Amino acid sequence: MEFGLSEEQRQIREEVRRFAEAEIEPHAQAYDVAEEFPHEIVERAAEMGLTGSYIPMEYGGAGYSILDTTLIVEELFAVDPGIALSIVASSFGCEAILEFGTDEQKARFLEPVALGEMISGAAISEPDTGSDVSSVSTTAERDGDEWVVNGTKMWITNGTVGDFFVVLCKTDPDAEGRYNGFSQLIVEADRDGFSAEKITGKLGIRASDTAELVFDDVRVPEENLVGTENAAFLQQMHFFDQTRTAVAAQGVGIARGASEAALAYAEEREQFGRPIGDFQAIQHKLADMHTKTEAARLLTYKSAWKVDQGEDITRLASMAKEYASRVAVEVANEAVQIHGGAGYVNDFPVERFYRDAKITQIYEGTSEIQKNIIARELLGKGL
Amino acid sequence: MNVLVTVTEGATVDDEFRIDGLAIDDGSLTTDLNEWDEYALETAVRLAEADLVDEVVTVTIGPEDCEGTIRQVLAKGADRAIRVWDDALERSEMLDVGAKTALLAAVVETEEPDLVLTGVQSADEGFMATGVSLAAAVDYGWAAVVNALEVDPDERIARVRRELEGGVEERTEVDLPAVLTIQTGINEPRYASLRGIRMAQRKELAVRSLADLGLEASAVESRLRLRELAEPESESEARVLEGSSEEAAAELATVLREQGVGR
Ligand SMILES: Cc1cc2nc3c(=O)[nH]c(=O)nc-3n(C[C@H](O)[C@H](O)[C@H](O)COP(=O)(O)OP(=O)(O)OC[C@H]3O[C@@H](n4cnc5c(N)ncnc54)[C@H](O)[C@@H]3O)c2cc1C
Repeated sequence: MEFGLSEEQRQIREEVRRFAEAEIEPHAQAYDVAEEFPHEIVERAAEMGLTGSYIPMEYGGAGYSILDTTLIVEELFAVDPGIALSIVASSFGCEAILEFGTDEQKARFLEPVALGEMISGAAISEPDTGSDVSSVSTTAERDGDEWVVNGTKMWITNGTVGDFFVVLCKTDPDAEGRYNGFSQLIVEADRDGFSAEKITGKLGIRASDTAELVFDDVRVPEENLVGTENAAFLQQMHFFDQTRTAVAAQGVGIARGASEAALAYAEEREQFGRPIGDFQAIQHKLADMHTKTEAARLLTYKSAWKVDQGEDITRLASMAKEYASRVAVEVANEAVQIHGGAGYVNDFPVERFYRDAKITQIYEGTSEIQKNIIARELLGKGL
Repeated sequence: MNVLVTVTEGATVDDEFRIDGLAIDDGSLTTDLNEWDEYALETAVRLAEADLVDEVVTVTIGPEDCEGTIRQVLAKGADRAIRVWDDALERSEMLDVGAKTALLAAVVETEEPDLVLTGVQSADEGFMATGVSLAAAVDYGWAAVVNALEVDPDERIARVRRELEGGVEERTEVDLPAVLTIQTGINEPRYASLRGIRMAQRKELAVRSLADLGLEASAVESRLRLRELAEPESESEARVLEGSSEEAAAELATVLREQGVGR
């Protein structure tokens, strides 16, 4: 068993950390307050290749593995989750194009994303469709050599800043079985009939753009179909191992950022004539926070490593996602507690971590859904 | 045209540190690519990107430990790297400018670069002499503290701008081959890209011993000896300026003027 990182992985981690500390941290508070998408930072990140780390070299990316990507995600989220999500989510949806797309689609969509010239999004959720993905009601109908898309997508990351979206649509309303009859279509944001409205007032990750998308008779050419017609549900599920592991890495990053901030504060802040880190109550909190973070990290690394081995790891990925997101929320909570009143205002990053952590328990399948999956796998029940 | 960039791994001392005999305790040191060399490297890589230079080679004097830093340099765009090390260097108490010059001169003689870029100084040792001393040893032209550079490969000239004291700037032309010591701020160094990091793993990193360079151990004997390392006694005085912002600002301006800041 080998627990060490390679020299190359250490270098990735260090360079991303340098970037995050110098380019993200000084601006994190401002973007959070303004609820503004950090275009300039995303552009700088793209120069470094952070916007498409897993996109293959031939399409302008770095061709990094899921484990490598996990390291990058942790580093960025440990500094600021809102800006971090804006960077790593700029290729949302591209995993489907990479796995199931045609060469022409890859050249057209992956390369500009890897180079930071385009931002993508994945549009699955709808006003009435969240945890139950099989209830998607956005439709796409064939008309000659075009698809006509109608419906509304909700909570879509990058909704108002994205250049194209991979949209899950119902393409065969008569299909038998809950999971049949769906297709993934690429819809460019400049198509007639497409509109996006930014959702403001989010609890956390406020730098990240979230929007409602409306498709009103949006026509896209036939060649925008990703993969196989009517097989999108299985295609979508194919990435859960990867995307859930990525959210687990987000949780690890948040937990690390919060636990490190708490440790630094505990060493510095004095009460009753000594640093509060001298009090055992605080020491035990710090010990728990750092232990949980490490445990979440190992679960996440294992999950990422298994994905890279090409193994099917539904249960492990759900475990990592559920556990790491819970740890993020718990650790951020304790980090605020250790900061006392100072943790309740946005002068310190822990206030942001506290608000930002919660999303990791909601998107990419809520914690309840992850536990359902783990139990279903344990009990050997099918879908 | 080829460029050789000298690159060193420098140590920065933490705010709180401990001196342990003739060295600073390892625990209070952070090592990284020397800041000035980062600018020198960026200068070379930009010349290559502008097709003015065919190959960027780096040379580092240092033990195996510093290969991480060398890979970082390769990731930022150098084509290949040379690392010079030897048991004789391991044993030596101190590598003074003379010793470094001898090693680098031997590398210059085999590589025959048209341009050698060094940092103005290293953050940890601060001799500020290696570049110029090297130029003298290999009989190249030189310019120090360069903060802007244009290279004309056809005319074989480097046009440089140098920052002098008192806000004066000087433009100089140096015939190639030349050694230029590069000042921070000449450009904005890049981060290593993920692709760069990936490709760096496959680039050549050659290790050269004294024998490989045709040098005897005596060539790197130091004429300097380190006798003591001490933290100077420091006196500090904190003054809190009271009153409204206007009053405090006026008071601050007076204090700064008394200390010789501004006119
Ligand atoms: C900031 C943000 C960004 C997002 N980005 C995207 C995006 O880019 N693309 C996209 O497609 N979606 C995105 N989403 C949507 C997200 O994936 C959904 O919010 C999530 O899947 C939950 O769906 P829901 O909100 O409809 O909640 P619901 O499904 O209505 O769930 C409500 C509650 O009921 C529970 N529940 C539901 N079913 C069960 C069950 N069977 N057993 C037990 N409990 C259950 C849930 O766990 C939850 O606690 C984003 C959401 C947010 C907030």
